[in-house]
Amino acid sequence: MGEVKAAAYGDFSILDLHADMEDYDSGEAEVFYQDLNLLQIIDRVSVKWGKSVKKYFMHLPKTAEEVAYRRSVYGDVKKDTVYTALTAFTGKIAEVEKLREEMHKAYGEMQKAVWWIREAEVYFSAYKELAGELEKADLESSLSEFLGIVRNILNSETYRTMLEETQGILAEIRKLRFTVTYDKDRMSVALKETEDGETYGARLNIEESSDDAQFTNPFVAGSAITELENACIEVLRKKKPAFFRKLNELSQQLTQRAEQYDVPVFTRFEQEIRFYLSFCSLQREMEQAGFVFAEPTIRRSGRMEAEGLYDLALALTSIGRGGKVVANDFYLDPAEQFFVLTGPNQGGKTTFARSLGQLVFFAKLGLDVPAKSATVLFFPRILTHFSVEESVETGRGKLMDELVRLAPMMESTGGSSFVVINELFTTAASYDAVIMGKRVLDHFIELGHKGIYVTHLKELADACEGVVSLRAMLDDRGIQTFEIRRGQSDDTACAENQVKKYRLTYEQLKERL
Amino acid sequence: MKVCLLYENREWVKGETYYDSASIVQDLGLNTMFAVASQEITYENGAVKQVEKPDQFLAETMRSVMMVPLTTEEEIRYRQESVEDGLQHEEMTRELYRISSDVVLRWNDLGRGYREKMKLGSPIMRLTADIRVLHMFCEALTEIRSLLRKEEFISRGFKALREELDVAFSEEREASVRKILDDISFYVHGLEHKEDENHDTVVKPRIVFECGLEDGLKFSSMKLLDISSQNVRFFRRGSTRDKLQKFLNGRIPDSFSVTEDERILEQTHQLEFESVSYVMRLTKNFTREFQTFFDQLRLQSAFCLAAVQLRHQLNRLGMTWCYPQVCDRRDLEFEELREFIMGLQQRVNVIGNTCSLLQKDLLIVTGANQGGKSTFLRSIGIAQVMMQSGLPVVAKSYRSGIFPRIFVHFTRREDSEMNSGRLDEELRRMNGIIEQIGDGSLILLNESFATTTEKEGSVIAYDITKALKEAGVRILTVTHLLSFARRVHEETAGHPEAGVEFLSAERKPDGTRTYHMIYGQPELTSFGLDLYDSIVGGY
Repeated sequence: MGEVKAAAYGDFSILDLHADMEDYDSGEAEVFYQDLNLLQIIDRVSVKWGKSVKKYFMHLPKTAEEVAYRRSVYGDVKKDTVYTALTAFTGKIAEVEKLREEMHKAYGEMQKAVWWIREAEVYFSAYKELAGELEKADLESSLSEFLGIVRNILNSETYRTMLEETQGILAEIRKLRFTVTYDKDRMSVALKETEDGETYGARLNIEESSDDAQFTNPFVAGSAITELENACIEVLRKKKPAFFRKLNELSQQLTQRAEQYDVPVFTRFEQEIRFYLSFCSLQREMEQAGFVFAEPTIRRSGRMEAEGLYDLALALTSIGRGGKVVANDFYLDPAEQFFVLTGPNQGGKTTFARSLGQLVFFAKLGLDVPAKSATVLFFPRILTHFSVEESVETGRGKLMDELVRLAPMMESTGGSSFVVINELFTTAASYDAVIMGKRVLDHFIELGHKGIYVTHLKELADACEGVVSLRAMLDDRGIQTFEIRRGQSDDTACAENQVKKYRLTYEQLKERL
Repeated sequence: MKVCLLYENREWVKGETYYDSASIVQDLGLNTMFAVASQEITYENGAVKQVEKPDQFLAETMRSVMMVPLTTEEEIRYRQESVEDGLQHEEMTRELYRISSDVVLRWNDLGRGYREKMKLGSPIMRLTADIRVLHMFCEALTEIRSLLRKEEFISRGFKALREELDVAFSEEREASVRKILDDISFYVHGLEHKEDENHDTVVKPRIVFECGLEDGLKFSSMKLLDISSQNVRFFRRGSTRDKLQKFLNGRIPDSFSVTEDERILEQTHQLEFESVSYVMRLTKNFTREFQTFFDQLRLQSAFCLAAVQLRHQLNRLGMTWCYPQVCDRRDLEFEELREFIMGLQQRVNVIGNTCSLLQKDLLIVTGANQGGKSTFLRSIGIAQVMMQSGLPVVAKSYRSGIFPRIFVHFTRREDSEMNSGRLDEELRRMNGIIEQIGDGSLILLNESFATTTEKEGSVIAYDITKALKEAGVRILTVTHLLSFARRVHEETAGHPEAGVEFLSAERKPDGTRTYHMIYGQPELTSFGLDLYDSIVGGY
């Protein structure tokens, strides 16, 4: 096989079906990232995988086809063999990056040359090993197309010889053994053919104790070599001139050919694969802790439903504290458009609303979702509105603030959005709040949006066509179960239970006082 | 490496002490004994020359060892043997204590604990301190080994100590450690290496290591092949001899000087440091083996030494002791048992009591005030605690059972005003005891419940002793509560199987006290009137 024009694969992407997605680094995160606690999850992921992975979570595919494309890749990534191979691969790529840093800090030309060679070797063997592993897996996505590209490039003459030469010279370096004698204020260096010297400790009649009896390199200065080491190597250089000449030549060749093996399709892949891996590793970690994930079915229209849906951000914080969160089931028939969720305070309303939003988000991102099973509709946009503390910065009143944030959401987007609203108009008079709430609901339903509206106003529960009433449940003793069920809002019963729970009824107070 | 003088096959740990050992110490007056046992007496021509200052460590050790009772006859016998060997070889005992104390105290200065270590400042100082510790170990162990080899022992404890040390610090091991110390002597001044007396010399290292290269050409998989120290003639810097020496050294093939480049010199020092550290790590197993040895030896020899010194104190007062014998729990027999602590305090010999209580669970002592009842009770308590720590007791003979749990319930003199608060305090103490007491316990009740009326106190005492007796507790009680004593007497008179015995303080018809206890039924009066008469007179 002849020389391969690496540039030919420049457009290939495992994230982007048409490889025409605009620049990932644009714009500010939409408000729903904050509201749905997605930033917590993304931050957690980027602690391990670096900030660069964050941007992939900030851009959502625009079409259902793109989602399907990603889902197929994620399906492959999740397979044990593929996941293991890819993790090992990204580990090696990280090593390459570290080696590159080392090279910049290197002491002298010779060390620099060796780092160069080492970097090339790690880089190519990373791809070689990845290809070997992926060949064994049953790939069903564009990863198999990528495997073809890798094989083509690796099989080219240039890369094959480069890999052989680098490995050869590194093996020779690793084989080298020598002794250094420090005596009479001088260091003398002698080559050694084998590694057979009896150590000082072994000669003594004393049992060596465990690992801390290892003799460690005292010349610590990070990975840079010290003057003393360099001086010893200079002596070696005189003793093995041919070898060190070869080393230098190879390094120069590599420098000259650097552009040839800088393959854009590789660089892009190395970045994009981290998106899938980062979520997959989180998912695996959560599964270990007993949480389940589902592969969502994605539809353009029809019934939307999920079993065992939970809030992933909450689940993450619960690990280490027993790792239990409440899961809920729901369905939304095609004719139904909005949930209106009412119920007692601290009853899990906000959590449920968030988990719905997260469901739509992760499904849209092409990943698995925090639920036992799920069927999700494809929404071009996600809109959220959560009540926040009065903004000191803007100086506006709370109601004013809410309305300012609400206004842009009300504009038509030309498609169906998924809307999560949490407690609107809490500072307004109830009468006003009910009217305003109804108008907001009416408007969203008219625009064809779907979503959930969390409120303490039970009047909204039967506001109009397309609204489904949900409520957060209490048990017999009036304690929150965090369970969300369909049903008419009924908050008088809750109130009495609440009072009992806090032992504030007349009889109880009499007893207590 | 274990010391094992106090227990067979195990070292001293601050194990389970008596319940409320503070009360035992206070009520039996043991602190006086600890104090005198911690003082060395020096003699001149057979006469006491001087009594040294108390050694706090000895007193504390005696206290902590005595408060953890031995629980089997076998353990007691083992400890008695060690104590006896300690007594037989007084000078050795004293030396063992001195050497081990020296090590322990100097070791602290050399950074034994983490905090002391951090005070030493640089890693180099910590390393040299480690070397000095190793050297100190080596010297101390050599000395201890030769001390032990000189003596003939009867005890299993000392024999085992000598054997163990012969293995753990064999001549071969000593040689290895001394070789290491010699090889790295260049790192610490004045250690081991013999200096050449004829010339000005300096001790210089020679270090050989083998290594390979890592990918970044850094040295890797290094192995130390050799390290040694050698005397090198010292020439003044820049002198002709010095220059000649340098010139000759420069002809060593494939070599470079480490003194010309400051950084290389610094890195050479790192090499020295790491090489010495590595060699010291090789001795870790050795030092770890003796990690607790010196503490243990110090403590265990301290206990023996305390016995030695206590005997000297008793000798001065003409009191002798014997090793007690273990027997059934329901028996207690002794001849000439003395409350020697009072004697030590007052510097006089005291009266001994002889008594035989066979198959008894409850002893009630009544009788004349100031007749020696409490002293008698204390003497048994002291002897029991001494016996259970393997010490001899001050008596002609002593036989008793083993009571892993001993309780004392003494009405303390300053407590004896009658008020409800005091009774409350007594009952609370009793409540604490009841939670711990059980089969195989011994309780000494001294004037308990005398802080309320005689009638009430008697009822309480009766109920409690009855319950305790039924629970299998051995009770020795001194009491003024005559209703209580008589009631028990009436119920048990003529029933020896009931296991109750009465003693009373002897009072001659003329009212003088002999401080002897005699068998007999409780009287109706404790002859306080006599006392009143003798002190107050006829008013």
